[in-house]
Amino acid sequence: MTKSDKPRLHPKVREAKELMDKGRMDRREFVRIAALLGVSAGAAYAMGGVTPSFAMQADLPFPDADDEAKSGGTLRVGMQVQKMEDPATYSWVEMSNQTRHTLEHLTFTTPDNVTQPMLAESWQANDDLTEWTFKLRPGIMWHNGDELNADDIIFNMTRWMDPDLGSSNIGLSTFASMVEEKDGKKVMIPGSLEKVDDLTVKLKLQKPVLSVPEDLYNYPTAIVHRSFKPPLSDNPIGTGPFTLTNLKVGERCELKKVTETTDGKPFKYWGGDVFLDEIHYYNFDEDNQLTAFASGDVDAIYEFGIEQFELAQALEGDIIEARTAQTLCCRMQISQKPFDDIKVRQAVVSACDNSVYRELVFQGRGDIAENTHVSPIHPEYYELPELKRDVEKSKKLLAEAGYPDGIELTIDVGNTDGPWHQTVCEIMRDQMKDAGIKLNINVMPPSKYWEVWDSTPFGATAWTHRPLGTMVLSLGYRTGVPWNETHLASKEFDEALDDAEATLDVEARREKMKKVEQIMQDAAVMVQPIWRPVFTIVSKKVVGYPPHPTQYHQFNRVWINS
Amino acid sequence: MSATADAPLPAPSLLARLSQPRTLILLLALMWIPLVIYVMFGHMFEDSRDYVLIPAVPATLLLYVLAMRAWWESKIAVIGATLVFFWMFIAVVVPFLPLIDPNQPIAPFTLPFSEKKDIFFWLGTDFKGRDMLSRALWGCQRVIVWGVTATLVAYIVGTAFGLIAGYLGGWWDEIISFLANILLSFPVMVLFILILNYLGQSGFNIVIAVTFASAPAVMRIVRGLALDIKSRDYVFAAQTRGEHPIWIMVVELLPNVRGPIIVDACLRLGYTTVAITTLTFLGLGLQPPDPDWGLMIKEAANTALIFKFSYMLIVPALSVSSLILGFNLMADGLREMSLRD
Amino acid sequence: MVKLILRRLGQMVLIMAVVSFVLFLVFDSDKFKKQIAVNELGGFGLQTLTEQEYQDWLSSKGLDVPFYTRYLDWVGNVLQGDFGFSFEKNTEVGPLLAERLINTGILAFWVFALMIPIALTLGVIAGMKEGSAQDRSVSFISVLTTSMPEIATAIFLTVIFALGLGWLPAKSAMTQGFDWRQLVLPVATLVLYDFGYVARMTRASMAEVMTSQYIRTAILKGIPYRRVIMRHALRNALIAPFTVIVLQLNWLLSGVVVVEVFFQYNGFGKMLLDAALFGDIYVIQAGTLAAVFVAVFSQIISDVGYTLLNPRIRFS
Repeated sequence: MTKSDKPRLHPKVREAKELMDKGRMDRREFVRIAALLGVSAGAAYAMGGVTPSFAMQADLPFPDADDEAKSGGTLRVGMQVQKMEDPATYSWVEMSNQTRHTLEHLTFTTPDNVTQPMLAESWQANDDLTEWTFKLRPGIMWHNGDELNADDIIFNMTRWMDPDLGSSNIGLSTFASMVEEKDGKKVMIPGSLEKVDDLTVKLKLQKPVLSVPEDLYNYPTAIVHRSFKPPLSDNPIGTGPFTLTNLKVGERCELKKVTETTDGKPFKYWGGDVFLDEIHYYNFDEDNQLTAFASGDVDAIYEFGIEQFELAQALEGDIIEARTAQTLCCRMQISQKPFDDIKVRQAVVSACDNSVYRELVFQGRGDIAENTHVSPIHPEYYELPELKRDVEKSKKLLAEAGYPDGIELTIDVGNTDGPWHQTVCEIMRDQMKDAGIKLNINVMPPSKYWEVWDSTPFGATAWTHRPLGTMVLSLGYRTGVPWNETHLASKEFDEALDDAEATLDVEARREKMKKVEQIMQDAAVMVQPIWRPVFTIVSKKVVGYPPHPTQYHQFNRVWINS
Repeated sequence: MSATADAPLPAPSLLARLSQPRTLILLLALMWIPLVIYVMFGHMFEDSRDYVLIPAVPATLLLYVLAMRAWWESKIAVIGATLVFFWMFIAVVVPFLPLIDPNQPIAPFTLPFSEKKDIFFWLGTDFKGRDMLSRALWGCQRVIVWGVTATLVAYIVGTAFGLIAGYLGGWWDEIISFLANILLSFPVMVLFILILNYLGQSGFNIVIAVTFASAPAVMRIVRGLALDIKSRDYVFAAQTRGEHPIWIMVVELLPNVRGPIIVDACLRLGYTTVAITTLTFLGLGLQPPDPDWGLMIKEAANTALIFKFSYMLIVPALSVSSLILGFNLMADGLREMSLRD
Repeated sequence: MVKLILRRLGQMVLIMAVVSFVLFLVFDSDKFKKQIAVNELGGFGLQTLTEQEYQDWLSSKGLDVPFYTRYLDWVGNVLQGDFGFSFEKNTEVGPLLAERLINTGILAFWVFALMIPIALTLGVIAGMKEGSAQDRSVSFISVLTTSMPEIATAIFLTVIFALGLGWLPAKSAMTQGFDWRQLVLPVATLVLYDFGYVARMTRASMAEVMTSQYIRTAILKGIPYRRVIMRHALRNALIAPFTVIVLQLNWLLSGVVVVEVFFQYNGFGKMLLDAALFGDIYVIQAGTLAAVFVAVFSQIISDVGYTLLNPRIRFS
């Protein structure tokens, strides 16, 4: 935000500030909302009286450059190397990590959930949050020497809303509010995007959306050059500090610092100092990444599982742990027998003791979950009374449901996030035995599980981290949405969720979430025992490696101390 | 079992009488069928599951005694049979041993010969804290049952086709041999990967895959033997008596191809065990959670790749190697004896 | 002889045609299309597609065409040297296959370069004096190493030499270009598993030759023992192992899968497993054809070699 044209403060910021001052809004939540509403991150932190988790340069989304930082060197990362076709249709985080150093986003959400300007310099929303104006940072250079302008942004957003492209961005609240149904396809409503001037774009939405800036950091929203044609790997023009020099899917992805443009002029990166010369991703299957690290093939890895924690501790390196809202839902599909009977579901849920998994599976790491799919790290989390295991109640419910001698159930497990899924089910099996429920565990390979995850009567599905509880509930539990694997169809729930989503006042929203969470718990659609932490390990010579709850890589300020 | 026939005892002892082919088959069935029922269909029996195995215990011991007696002249066969019967015996008695539940997580990463939570772990525990000793002993069941069943089915199918191709000849032979040639022109692992990927991962599908991979080779051996025997007098005699071809194949041909096949079968049991372990490691074989050696190796390969924890790898790797060694030594010993006769 | 070779080659082409047709047929099922979709889009991604969008996706991948049409197209392309396009690796299958075969070839070369001398030497030493201590120990070692699955050997070697002593790298992904040190463990694993088999064959063959009439005569004639072995026995004793060794090429294509996966070596075996798990049909096709080619071709070489080496067998 430049000092000369100081934008007006959005009225909702003032509203939020008042709420905070009255103690009705968490300070971090205030910073998040103020940042979403266009207040620069620095100012937002100052207003909120919060110290950011990392020191920040005045108007850049990255941490301050380390004074001792040394330039040079190659960062080698063990990860699955995937193809880089079209950033708008990416479906795996790994792809986006390979791209994130070349292509950038309009905004940037830090690991502690504050959204800051990136390619956009600032933004403003009108009072009812239906018109959003984004001002681009002037002087951002593409690798081919062009300057980033409004046409690039309009080109990208138009593409995302092109039904023939099949980008998942169309499902984000922002873009869902700019499309209409036409001949069975969702197309952009004409006039939704307006080029105000060369560096300003206005988005006109059909309904108020607060999360526009957050949506713009979703991984398929990387901004490509206006001349973009897939595959990206053939012509990787970006604004980022690195460019792709070599991609071999399943083997390696090499990125090199850009020093001059493709037409031979010196390239200046807008985001300040970048220290690494090259970033190399080497393909190692998930099981092998930690061993590759151990034998010195790589300096960092994408992820290792809890089952490897002991091994990781024995290695020379820094273990980085991120608290997340990633979880496992042992969910029952309520449209299938025997789970169509709520008594059976309640019997299952009350036979389990959610409090033991954290200790038994994650050795005391992570957070206990309460079958609501809202995490304590979500800002609107309402703490319901602790879940109590009740074996007698479970037996009674089973008898009432017509199973006085107990029942035999089978749960499908794909271990899609590692073998701990199976451990969870094994603990469940032992607990449910006391209530006369015999649980069989049907373990299948991960890709087979993804073929049945939405259709199996009883399955353990992994859900990734999302910054808001309302976001994941909207995606997964509203009536008829594609990811509704429980087949929950509750008008009461949908309305309660609408109500909570439309409320800015976090304390009020939290009160409203009480109802939402209570409905979730009462519906007894799943045993959701744990919010898992994610781990990675970095060599001691790598400095400034940022943790992230969804394993997004952003290595702008990383340097190697050789 | 020629040794028994020549036994220089005045009156046939009990053991000699037990060595009759018919009793041998009965004993084998008594050992094998309960084990198969226990592993493949055990979940149907609920709590009475363990009783299924009771008849198998004496049968296994008796078979071991008979094997020792018959093969005593070949030290190699004796060592081999001892290894194989050791695991066989473990497989049938493991539910009755005073072991900790192999799927019960207790104390993760406990080193061997140490105590944690008031339990002494001889072989330590794995990454989930499950007792390694218990898992290693329980692990033999699945490997043995699926490995031997798969080999057995491959032999039945291979022998049947071999007899048909060899005895009937003509178009039968052409078609069967061509199909066998197709299957034989695949590297075995490629064939396994393709078949298991298509059928999905389970013990029964491993049986199918092993049959596809092994039956053609068995068929070739049997076909060759059948071609040779076909022209013998007793086959002609049966033909002139007007016996049905199937009867001739089963009654006249089958007993005479038995000898060479048994040696080959022991070797192939070894290969199949290797294959099952490897497939499980690649994620194409048996599925968790029940213990088996391949799975233990797979899990330990992710979680225990440092020197301190290498016992987690060594225990299952040694177990599976000793079983395969047993099969291979048995094959060597039997071949040695057959050459001597 | 030429006729025999031509017949075998003809048979090989027929087998390839049948195999590739069956593969196309099998991989045409809805289940497999869904497998590819899951691997490309993820379980959650696939779920957001409507039926129409899923059909569009299939057609964008060329999977909506009936399999026989795809098969004919594919055969036509293969005859022109075009093996199709990999869904997973996003590259032409031809160059990918060539590169992976070369990598596996390097591995195989070193396996053979070490395995053949070791196995033959040990086999001959053992077979020279049947029943002697040297025979017993060689036989025992070879049966022992053959009894350890490759995965077990690979693990032992990694634990000892990579993680325990730290002499060698644990993985062989060759991230910094070719590095012979990374080749040591995979080669050692394969040699350890394989040499025992060849050594036993050599031993049996040698033992048989040693009992033959002409060797006994030669020894009785007073020709020095060394010369009998080197001049007369060896030549005859190595005929049988030769065919066995050539056939090991076929075995190696099986054996490399687990070794390459364990050591993360980018060779043919790992490519094939990846492709099978992904449902990457054109890579599977090309890999299978290559495997069948190697298998049948090594069979032909072995037959021809045997005929040439052994003057007693000169059939049709």
